[in-house]
Amino acid sequence: MKTRFLFPYWCKYLGIVCFVVHIPIVLFQKQLGFDFSEASKAAGFWGSYHLFYMVTTLLMLTGLVLFAFSKEKIEDEQIAQLRMDSLQWAVYLSYILLIISLALTTNKRDAKDIMHLNVWVPLVIFIVLFRWKMFRNSRYTKEDAI
Amino acid sequence: MKNNIRVERAIKNITQAELAELISVSRQTINTIESNRYVPSTILALKIARVFGKPVEEIFQLEEGD
Repeated sequence: MKTRFLFPYWCKYLGIVCFVVHIPIVLFQKQLGFDFSEASKAAGFWGSYHLFYMVTTLLMLTGLVLFAFSKEKIEDEQIAQLRMDSLQWAVYLSYILLIISLALTTNKRDAKDIMHLNVWVPLVIFIVLFRWKMFRNSRYTKEDAI
Repeated sequence: MKNNIRVERAIKNITQAELAELISVSRQTINTIESNRYVPSTILALKIARVFGKPVEEIFQLEEGD
């Protein structure tokens, strides 16, 4: 039953590739020749500063989104429900974390960092919850002798 | 809601995996329905009933508190 838009199954692997590729770029940014001077910040879209942002943060985010919202091998209504449950819990948990951490932060610079973290934290919580539920489901099925 | 899919499967002599394939869902879904951890949609319930050639009410029954 197709109830909502999801990426095809192969996008899960594309997501993993995007996520993994961004790690060496972050680690070897100097060797790769990225320049973070004021001039490159002012260079706009094709400036080194913005290009670095695109191949790290945005590549990682694209990877996470593709991995989180691609179809399972066999997609059905029960998996769709697990996905919706996990999404709801992920939003609750990430907002609780956000509210608590902002309440405990008096420094505005730290508050900005927390907001930056919140770009990917809800997605990661969702992925962990959904994979955990899927894993538990398949473990129950294995334990249950036919 | 309770169901007797396990019994019906035994009568028809098919496994969870075979039933899952017949109605195009995962084996985990059949398992969660059988163990009352998931309530299927009307469409899925009708498909299951069709496989066993019986009315839906003979396979799925309401429980007190539903």
